[in-house]
Amino acid sequence: MSKQERRELQEKQRAAKEVAKAQPAKGAKAANKPSQASQDNQSSKKLSKAAEPSTPSLGASASAKSLNATSASTSQHNLTGTEAFGLRIFSHFGAIKHPSGPAKGDIHPAIVRLGRQFAEFAITGANARCIATLTAFQSVIQDYSTPPNTTLSRHLTTHLSHQINHLVGARPMSVSMANAIKHIKVEITNSDIDMPEQNAKDELCHKIDLYIRDRIIVADKVIRTTALRKIQDGDTILTYARSSVVEKVLLYAHSKGREFSVIVVDSRPMLEGKGLLSKLSSAGIRCTYILLPALPSIIDEVNIVFVGAHSMLSNGAVFSRAGTAMVAMMAQERSIPFVVCCETYKYSEGIHLDSFTKNELAPLSVSIPAASSEEVQSEPNLQILNPLYDLTPPTNITAVVTEVGVIPPSSVSSLPFALGRQFI
Amino acid sequence: MSPRLAPPSAVAAQTISESSPIASPPFDIIAAYRRILNDDSISMPVAAILALVELIEFSTAGTTFELVQALTDGAEQLKSRTPNSISLSAGVELFVAFVTLFPHESDSFDDLKAELVSEGRKYAQEAQTYRAKIAEFTFKFIKDNAVILTHSYSRVVMHALLHAHKHKRISVYVTEARPRGLGIKTCEALTALGVPCTVVLDSAVAYLMDKVDVVLVGSEAVVESGGLINAVGSYQLAIIAKAHHKPFYALAESYKFHRLFPLSQYDLPTHTPNILSFPRAPASSSAPGLGSPSASYTAALAAAAPPPTPARGLSSTNLGHPPPASASMTSDQLARNPEVDYTRPDLITLVFSDVGILTPSGVSQYLVGMFAG
Repeated sequence: MSKQERRELQEKQRAAKEVAKAQPAKGAKAANKPSQASQDNQSSKKLSKAAEPSTPSLGASASAKSLNATSASTSQHNLTGTEAFGLRIFSHFGAIKHPSGPAKGDIHPAIVRLGRQFAEFAITGANARCIATLTAFQSVIQDYSTPPNTTLSRHLTTHLSHQINHLVGARPMSVSMANAIKHIKVEITNSDIDMPEQNAKDELCHKIDLYIRDRIIVADKVIRTTALRKIQDGDTILTYARSSVVEKVLLYAHSKGREFSVIVVDSRPMLEGKGLLSKLSSAGIRCTYILLPALPSIIDEVNIVFVGAHSMLSNGAVFSRAGTAMVAMMAQERSIPFVVCCETYKYSEGIHLDSFTKNELAPLSVSIPAASSEEVQSEPNLQILNPLYDLTPPTNITAVVTEVGVIPPSSVSSLPFALGRQFI
Repeated sequence: MSPRLAPPSAVAAQTISESSPIASPPFDIIAAYRRILNDDSISMPVAAILALVELIEFSTAGTTFELVQALTDGAEQLKSRTPNSISLSAGVELFVAFVTLFPHESDSFDDLKAELVSEGRKYAQEAQTYRAKIAEFTFKFIKDNAVILTHSYSRVVMHALLHAHKHKRISVYVTEARPRGLGIKTCEALTALGVPCTVVLDSAVAYLMDKVDVVLVGSEAVVESGGLINAVGSYQLAIIAKAHHKPFYALAESYKFHRLFPLSQYDLPTHTPNILSFPRAPASSSAPGLGSPSASYTAALAAAAPPPTPARGLSSTNLGHPPPASASMTSDQLARNPEVDYTRPDLITLVFSDVGILTPSGVSQYLVGMFAG
């Protein structure tokens, strides 16, 4: 306890320092006019909320605390504890930094636009983001010219790094993007120094095309044919949220004449399942749409569960949209096969044991409907946290459908070996 | 094997290449497969590999692509004509993968074919030593005075048991394994060789499990999940063994490793809508709607022809009648039953194979590494 108290004290001091440094005028104003405290509180809260996305991890909690520091009342001091607690477990996720103002450095317009789309969640989904990033990189590479006294293979990587940093500023990088970028950087460093610049650029763009084709598009085709064999006539298939791969699998199975119905389980804040629902039902598949709390009452009807993934980890766990773990747990309990559809390029070397070590928070614009946004944000005792992902442990997963076949989660770790190390 | 097969194939190959190189070879893979399978020591996957080797010998294919095409066609033919093709597919799959990945270094395609044929034969010969190897592995896991439970009849399990019998005192319970009743065959063979053996009812497994030290079963195929496909009843054996905390060991030659991932019992390729279905009308018991599976099934039954377990109470009361029809299942009823079932990996302690002693997840990793590369 004493340790915790000490840490709290330290953080308070740090916060106070930051306030003194960053917002001296506002702090003074608040101190001078206690009668305006509530109104001021509101505005500063809004300010700090706006500032929050731009401050990484600790900064977020610090700015929240600066609020309390300014309106120095004892009742709110008690609140500091809980508020700090809420933030502290999630603070390391890193709030989203909106690319505010002019982009720093030499950022390509395509990347600036993509950054905006990422930040506003206009492009979501590991595959979509990866393809969008790679396509944007193609235009970056085409518009790039090597500065004098350096070579393309040496300089282009640093140039790309700036672009990547800009994208990461908009939204944390997905594992799929990280793997693709790693692959491209290797290709760049391997490109021949003596090759004319335009040829080298063309070749890189071609390699990117190949990567998109082989690792994503063809992989999805293989996955959908493999998954088709697991769908029988009369099946009731459950899926959670929206995965581009699962969507392809279901549409493909339908086009192949399989008779099945789909239960789309969805959940706040993103309600992505609606998109899937409209796609499936317009294709003529019988669908049921429920929200996650209704899952227990419907799960007994289900024959098989298909979900997508953000990434799969080497211990066989799957990192996917928050709520997936709950579906997996329930399916496992009823011994309903829980099948994850995931391309191998989403493989991640690391191991996570829970959803807290790494995650991402949904920005407020996504998690709150615009109408009530104002109201919720002005609530001083309310902290909004919406982790985007959770971790499904390997014990709850029956099988992973990849382009190398249907494998049990325990074999995920042998994927790099099977594919040859350089592919992942 | 090879000397016996070589002369006719050589002659046939000649005539074909001389007369009509375009026409498809009049090679009957089914007949070849049946002939090879007559040898009692050759199991289905190896027989399939040997049949495909013969197909290569007869093939007029001029490129690897054509050859692989011919092989897959032959494999399809084999699969469609065999009532239970799981184990066969494993061998076929292995061989086709081998041919596809075979380094193409020979000068002419005929050389390559000859090389493939000799490699295939060599593999089949080598495969005959696998059972001894597995028996050697298993031996270390059987204690003196061990009581072993096994299921149905399996050549590799027989090998392991007889090997253990040479050096240790073992006694064996074997399940009757309805409907084929192959447990009786196991019992006869073991008793003849001096191993104490008792046949138990399939329904008595739970009753006797406490007396058992170790459960050994063979397999039709070991699948990618690390699970096991074997004669029906293995799954319940595994569940009961697990409930009693007894080790459940599966014995499988590596050519039975199969890239298949059953998600449930009904996800097996052998599952047909007829299995576990309900009869439509009790009056029309003669079989108008019965498909080929049931017919082949009854044929298989007739071939195996075990004496049905007599229902004691009933037969003693109904003195005047022959064994009443109601006491044993009709062929129609049997046709609604599965031949094989799938044992989940979490119920299996270890898989003994010629590539080593593997955990179920080790099997799947081996399979991923073998075929994905």
